[in-house]
Amino acid sequence: MGKMERFAFVALVAGIIFFLFADFVSWALPMFVLKDIPKKSIMDLAKEAKAKNTTAWSDFKKIAMAYPEQFKKFCEYEEPFSGAKKVSNCTPNEETLAKALAVGHRWYVAEGCWNCHSQMVRPVSNETLRFGIPGVSNHVSYPSEYNNELQAPVLWGTKRVGQDLIREAAVHNLGWQAAHLYKPTSTSPGSVMPGYPWYFEKDSKGRIVPNERGIALLTYIMWLGSWEVKPPKDFRLEAAAK
Amino acid sequence: MSNTQDLKNLVNYGLVKAHVTMGLIFFIIVALMGFLYSLQLDGIYPFSGIEFLSPGRVRMIHTAGAAYGFLVNMFTGLLYWAVPRFTGYRVLSDALGWFMFIALQAAVLITVIGILFLGQADNVEWGETPWWLDPIIVFWLLLHLIQFGAPLYKASQRGPLYVSGWYISAMLVWTPLVVFMGNLIPRFWAVGSGAGAVQSTFIHDLVGLYVTPVAWGLMYYFVPVIMKKPMWSHGLSLLGFWGLAFFYPMNGVHHFLWSPIPMFAQYSAVFATVAVEFAVTSVLINFMMTLRGSAEQLKYNVPLRYMYTGAIFYWITCFQCAFHVTLTFQKVIHFTDWVTGHAHLIMFGTFGLWVLGMAEYIWPRLFGKETMYSKGLSEGAYWLMAIGVFAMFVDLTAGGLVQGFDWIGLNPWIDSVNFSKPFWYFRSVAGLMMITGLLMYAVNFYKTATAGKSLSAELKSESV
Repeated sequence: MGKMERFAFVALVAGIIFFLFADFVSWALPMFVLKDIPKKSIMDLAKEAKAKNTTAWSDFKKIAMAYPEQFKKFCEYEEPFSGAKKVSNCTPNEETLAKALAVGHRWYVAEGCWNCHSQMVRPVSNETLRFGIPGVSNHVSYPSEYNNELQAPVLWGTKRVGQDLIREAAVHNLGWQAAHLYKPTSTSPGSVMPGYPWYFEKDSKGRIVPNERGIALLTYIMWLGSWEVKPPKDFRLEAAAK
Repeated sequence: MSNTQDLKNLVNYGLVKAHVTMGLIFFIIVALMGFLYSLQLDGIYPFSGIEFLSPGRVRMIHTAGAAYGFLVNMFTGLLYWAVPRFTGYRVLSDALGWFMFIALQAAVLITVIGILFLGQADNVEWGETPWWLDPIIVFWLLLHLIQFGAPLYKASQRGPLYVSGWYISAMLVWTPLVVFMGNLIPRFWAVGSGAGAVQSTFIHDLVGLYVTPVAWGLMYYFVPVIMKKPMWSHGLSLLGFWGLAFFYPMNGVHHFLWSPIPMFAQYSAVFATVAVEFAVTSVLINFMMTLRGSAEQLKYNVPLRYMYTGAIFYWITCFQCAFHVTLTFQKVIHFTDWVTGHAHLIMFGTFGLWVLGMAEYIWPRLFGKETMYSKGLSEGAYWLMAIGVFAMFVDLTAGGLVQGFDWIGLNPWIDSVNFSKPFWYFRSVAGLMMITGLLMYAVNFYKTATAGKSLSAELKSESV
């Protein structure tokens, strides 16, 4: 018993051995189990979105078309912390999409959006029915969709005041997202979400439009779950009939 | 008198005073931040539209500030008092102590500036400090290890360590490992579900392997000292410590049950969490049996009352945890306010009340006084905080159940928000009670430190 009350024994057995054992079970072993899932960089995600022509890609083109002045400013946007650099080819392409995802993710984290919005659909409590749109995007969260740079650290969240966002791409369009971000009660009466007017500016015609950071943030939010969006069922039936 | 003189040479009073003062200041700041954030949920946020005071950012100051500004400062200050006194040796170096003090305040300040003004938060819950600050915090914790490890190591050469020594020795080794693991591995080595497993382990390990062992270590020191009698059972002390040391580090994944983390890790976390409750109950039995025969002290000894109130809240939290950690409970309460209530009961109700009680015990002694400035302020602060935090806990637990069942029922989302509003209003009121108590406590501290006359414990002797 005497040993158990000595500094060296406590530090070695409790401090190091027990700790390493627990870490082995809690996260090293899960990491080994998941090790064969390829890890995607932000550029891979952007390329995939374009190659598969997902909603993230079409929404990004829509954003560029709707706010051309601000999109130009977004291409020139530089910021030291996220490593955002000026893009010379200022059209919707893989490079600009990757930049928009990186910058959008960086501000999504910085604003603490993840304090109230989770990014995980659980297989219980009717969550697959609630989040996304049944038949269009209604899948339980699975490991491979998180294996990318934008989920390091992972953004599952711990609290829901607002809805889960990992199936958001199927649910709302660009106009709704922009209005909601600017003034949440305008689209969701009763919402307790704060407005984020600093992601918006007035353009030459006096309209309120997203600024360079706003474009990135909207692109990121509309990218969430875009890989799960399938064409609606009736559309698929029509295609099959042809 | 010579005994007091010896103890004065043993303990660096300046470091204790500095850390406890800063801890109290940060406690008030983070409590105000939490209150401010709760106003957003009530729809009356006073600074809406200001980027640097956005509620999302304020909320991260509330959590990260509570960890590093409040708890680390308070615990370090109390360790500077307790460790030299129960080991009989001075800490490694006073100069190092002052350097660490300044470095800690700088780290907290940089975190506040980073999160509010630079948008540099990290999306690790309880590790919201900017990631480039984390290696510096790990280095600080290594200094912390040698600073307090030195007297513990010396005492251990002479004979077995006292219970507090085990908890604190283990904590000194765990904390740098935990902070390194939780903040840097999910950013640079793990992604996705692997990162989730590491992060969840971190969330719980910062509570379980820093806050809990240091707090229990201090409890094992302060409670017998105040009651002037030994702990009831040494065997239970051993059981409690080794039970905690083995099972606590494995608890983390219970934060992400039903997630894409492999199920074996989730089951091991559930099993380990339930096991921890047995260790906790053994510790609680030990403390309650120590109290037997001295319970009347709770009537007039406010520091001791803080400690036992906290201990009971601790047991409530852990008992609750044994149930809500199961996969069945998680279906309903995950992502709801239930969790927020649980977190406040443990962090404010237990660890908050404990450090306030311990600080109130040592504060007059640091200034050569026998008692605090005002018994009324002391009592008022205790009751406001104890009732406030328990009311908040009950309120948020009920609110969490409402939200959870509402979500399962597939009602429109906004219904769950509207149903929660009365609970959120009440939460703000409870928060206001806690802040009022805290401010009364702080006034009492200030008056005790600056009182010109020596404050005597003798009744009706002063004609102030």
